[in-house]
Amino acid sequence: MTADLAPAARGDGAATGVTVEARGLTKTYRDGQRVVEVLRDVDLAVAQGELVAVVGPSGCGKSTLLHLLGTLDRPDGGSVRIGGTEVSTLAGERLAAFRNRTIGFVFQFHQLLPDFTALENVMMPARIAGRPPAVAEERSRRLLGEVGLAARLDHFPSELSGGERQRVALCRALALEPPLLLADEPTGNLDAASGERVLEQLVNLQKSHGTTAVLVTHNPDIAARCDRVLELSGGVLR
Amino acid sequence: MSFPLHLALRYLRSTRRDAFVSFLSAVAAGGIALGVAALVLSLAALSGFQRVLTHEVLERSPKLEVELPAGSGDAALERALATVRAAPGVRAAEPVVHGTGWVVVAGGMVRPVDLTGFAGSVPASFPGAAGGAEGLYLDSSLAAVWGVERGDLVEVVSPYPTLVPFGPPLPRVRSLPLAGTFERPRTQEDRSRAALPLAVARSLLPGRQPWIEADASLDDAESLAKTLPAALPPGSTVRTWRDVNRSLFFVLRLEKAMMFVAVSLIVLVAALALVADLALIISSKRSEIGMLGAMGAGPAMLRRAFLLLGGLLAGLGAGLGTVLGVGGSYLLDRYELIGLPGDVYVFDHVPFHVRPLDLAGVLVLTVTLAALFSLYAAQRAAALTPVEALRR
Repeated sequence: MTADLAPAARGDGAATGVTVEARGLTKTYRDGQRVVEVLRDVDLAVAQGELVAVVGPSGCGKSTLLHLLGTLDRPDGGSVRIGGTEVSTLAGERLAAFRNRTIGFVFQFHQLLPDFTALENVMMPARIAGRPPAVAEERSRRLLGEVGLAARLDHFPSELSGGERQRVALCRALALEPPLLLADEPTGNLDAASGERVLEQLVNLQKSHGTTAVLVTHNPDIAARCDRVLELSGGVLR
Repeated sequence: MSFPLHLALRYLRSTRRDAFVSFLSAVAAGGIALGVAALVLSLAALSGFQRVLTHEVLERSPKLEVELPAGSGDAALERALATVRAAPGVRAAEPVVHGTGWVVVAGGMVRPVDLTGFAGSVPASFPGAAGGAEGLYLDSSLAAVWGVERGDLVEVVSPYPTLVPFGPPLPRVRSLPLAGTFERPRTQEDRSRAALPLAVARSLLPGRQPWIEADASLDDAESLAKTLPAALPPGSTVRTWRDVNRSLFFVLRLEKAMMFVAVSLIVLVAALALVADLALIISSKRSEIGMLGAMGAGPAMLRRAFLLLGGLLAGLGAGLGTVLGVGGSYLLDRYELIGLPGDVYVFDHVPFHVRPLDLAGVLVLTVTLAALFSLYAAQRAAALTPVEALRR
């Protein structure tokens, strides 16, 4: 499976970021008779290790762009290359394996699995990848310790605060040291203090691991912490 | 432990949190348990019935019957008898003759009766009569009804009258002392029977050719049925106890097969409940399935996880059903809990016997149905695209 991946995209723990290139991305949705063009010929290039913010009002297509970059959805036109791999050539199990080893996601709503503890949630990408549980557990413990959750390992998501859940989600996204981190309004559901803490840890982990990251937000203060800010408006990225 | 199994076990545990999912899971697993238990119990009842009947038939039937071609004389019969007795595995062989006649009972009433002429000891099909003196043997209940006691002379009338040159044919009658009585075997149809010495029977049934009944082990009987005809006159027929009772065993097998099909419907309905349960679990965990997909769980892994979840639910049900079925069969048989009026039915209680092959058949059916239906539901989970699932 790793034959599909560029060297930097293997997610084998020696993570440095990958380049991300999107060319001519278009995406439309049909709402009854109405056709909504969410993305129009969007071009995007993100350098290795860069943290890019995509800003724009709610409903402008930021999340759609993130889903296309994260291979969760397919564009109607255009292409996405991650670390030199044209993702449209992948499907099914190969695409899932690529996503597992290359991309970490943080969503606005933590999307933690409620039946698993914080530690188990963070271990999940490694378990999916077929890593030995002991190895996955050791790294997950370390990551959770780095974000100050060493005492919350065995807590279920329902027993954690909103900020703690989002920090667990951040650890899960970075569990396999993916070369690309995609964050969709990671602090959008948190109060100011918790949001600030999560953002600080996200930026610190991203910088310390050299991960390439794309962060979607509508908050200009958060965008200002990034290396570069792009604005999505009317389906066009500027 | 593999990740899909880990996921399935955790989801199985989590079904307890949602009351409706929990209820549906209990219905699915309980339905399968009920179906398996019902199948095991009903098949055990039929197997018990078969076992008792087979035992009964084996005890009362000659293991081999040899019939010579029509017109074979006594010399041929003697030679065939010697051949059969000398055949390896044959423990005993005697000629018998069967026919119909009448007995004259108290008050000059005449009753039809099936006559069996025997040589040597009374055949096993007349239980309780063995070792008696020479004479006539009657069903004990008939002897009582007819008011005949041991030592009384009973007239047996032949259907073949003696022809004389002048005058009407004379009835062929023999008077025999009642030498003993026998109990009517439970598998015997409700007809009057009588046993009498071969020589007397032959004189009463002049047109009837005797055949040979032989005793052998069951295995020997099967192999003798194949080898003996070559050593006997052409046209001879050799039948095993199985051939003689073929229609009885066929009916028993057919009854069992029909019962299996009918009761299997419970398992089928329970398997449908399993699909409904899995569909509800999948629907309630849609966003989690989306997140698993975003983390890199491929369609095969998700399919396997939900297939295993269905398998675990079905396994719980099948395990419980097996315990209920096998345990219930044991208790019902051991303590004879389902009684029957012995004077009306063949048995005084319903016998139960669990055959491993029946149990294997039930479990194979359950596993197959559960796997097929779970696969359908699991396929739905595997087909979800992460973005669709996460949009919820």
